[in-house]
Amino acid sequence: MIIRILKFTILALLLQGLQSPALAATCSCAGVPLLTSIDTSATEQGDFFISYSTEYHQISDLVAGSDDVRDETGRDRNSISQVISASYALTDRWSVSALISYVKHNRTIGSSIFGKETTSGVGDSVILIRYTPLFITPFSRHELSLGLGARIPTGEDSFGSGFIISEDMQPSVGALGKIGWSSYSYAFNQAASLLLNASATYTDNDDNDRKYAFGNESSLSLGLSQSIGTKFGYSAALRYRSTRTDHRFGFAIPNTGGEWLDFVPAVQYSVTDNLKLTLFGRLPLTRDLNGTLQFTTSYSYGLSLTYGF
Amino acid sequence: MASRFIKALCLVLLLVQVAPARESAPFFSGAAINTGQQISLADYKGKVVFLDFWASWCPPCLASLPAYDRMRREIGTEGFEIIAINVDEHTEDGLAFLEKHPVAYPVLADREGGIGILYGIRTLPHSFLLDRDGRIVASYRSFKAGDEISLKQAIEKLLEQ
Repeated sequence: MIIRILKFTILALLLQGLQSPALAATCSCAGVPLLTSIDTSATEQGDFFISYSTEYHQISDLVAGSDDVRDETGRDRNSISQVISASYALTDRWSVSALISYVKHNRTIGSSIFGKETTSGVGDSVILIRYTPLFITPFSRHELSLGLGARIPTGEDSFGSGFIISEDMQPSVGALGKIGWSSYSYAFNQAASLLLNASATYTDNDDNDRKYAFGNESSLSLGLSQSIGTKFGYSAALRYRSTRTDHRFGFAIPNTGGEWLDFVPAVQYSVTDNLKLTLFGRLPLTRDLNGTLQFTTSYSYGLSLTYGF
Repeated sequence: MASRFIKALCLVLLLVQVAPARESAPFFSGAAINTGQQISLADYKGKVVFLDFWASWCPPCLASLPAYDRMRREIGTEGFEIIAINVDEHTEDGLAFLEKHPVAYPVLADREGGIGILYGIRTLPHSFLLDRDGRIVASYRSFKAGDEISLKQAIEKLLEQ
């Protein structure tokens, strides 16, 4: 379940970057928050961006269906991801983005020192090819982008006491994920300082070496972003996501999958013409999760630095 | 399946061709909103031309216009000219700026993008340097104070050719 959340977050953040010309986005990957910011805003031929981002996920909400449940197990779970990403515009319409992540998971159950577990390592990578048939210009208010990509399992399995640890504590999902992505933006004014952003994503997950497959994920996002002067910007979005049940050896895993609706705010400051700093967060609004009980994300936040050449 | 998918992605990347750079500056003509004179790019053949797209809502553009006007005075207009293209949806907004900060070079209005689309304008400021044969030799997609110094050097180099 946690893995799924992280996976989804990665993609959602990735998409968020894609959909928001004004603000960089972050994405996190399976097992842990991982992927971070890929700034996939519309670019012109030769544009090259490098970004570093880090994100903290607190995963301590216990939910039965759509109801919060009091957790009396003393459980604490969080994940921290760091991501380096790069985007390059091959032409005015074609661009490619890629990122690699490093993920650390912490889990504590009870007060015993034996209840503490930490894993860390290289996580998944993502490559995304994007085609932009329509883009916002001083003469056009619409932008449409379509993308195709893959989440590549670049991480290795983490071991604990000689045993492979559980899926939700792995830094990497360990399986290929095929990504379909689309984004639309509308500029409310010629300067494109106020934008409506919408995006949709779908990820089809393969089995990993342990024959575990995370449920396929789809997400929809709708939000606004605004630039204030030449230095500041902010965005706010509602993001709906849905994941199918996980499977191992083809058998459904109980208490996995569900639906979430999150609020995703972000603020951005342009330190220089080339360097921008983005702070972002995610707060759950509603959720309806499969099974009897699931731990799910309480909140997440992070920052990213993007440098454009 | 996984490797096939990755191979397919790589193939798409290989198939994407980088568009060849445009060489000759697209032709345009129109009436200057600040001087009233009729302008045609063809009339400037034999001169080095700096073509500047701008709008009143673009802060760097507003800083660049006076700087370009000073640069023009320093270089002279014997073999050189600046043509500005204002892309404001409401040309009055551009005129209001020009009333406060007049420039001596001609400014055309391009509300619908008839010129800007030909030049592939996506963001502002965006400007082009044309040689004496009307070929685009450089393009600039930003402006900050001091940029006009290196621009002036590039223009003088073209004037020497």
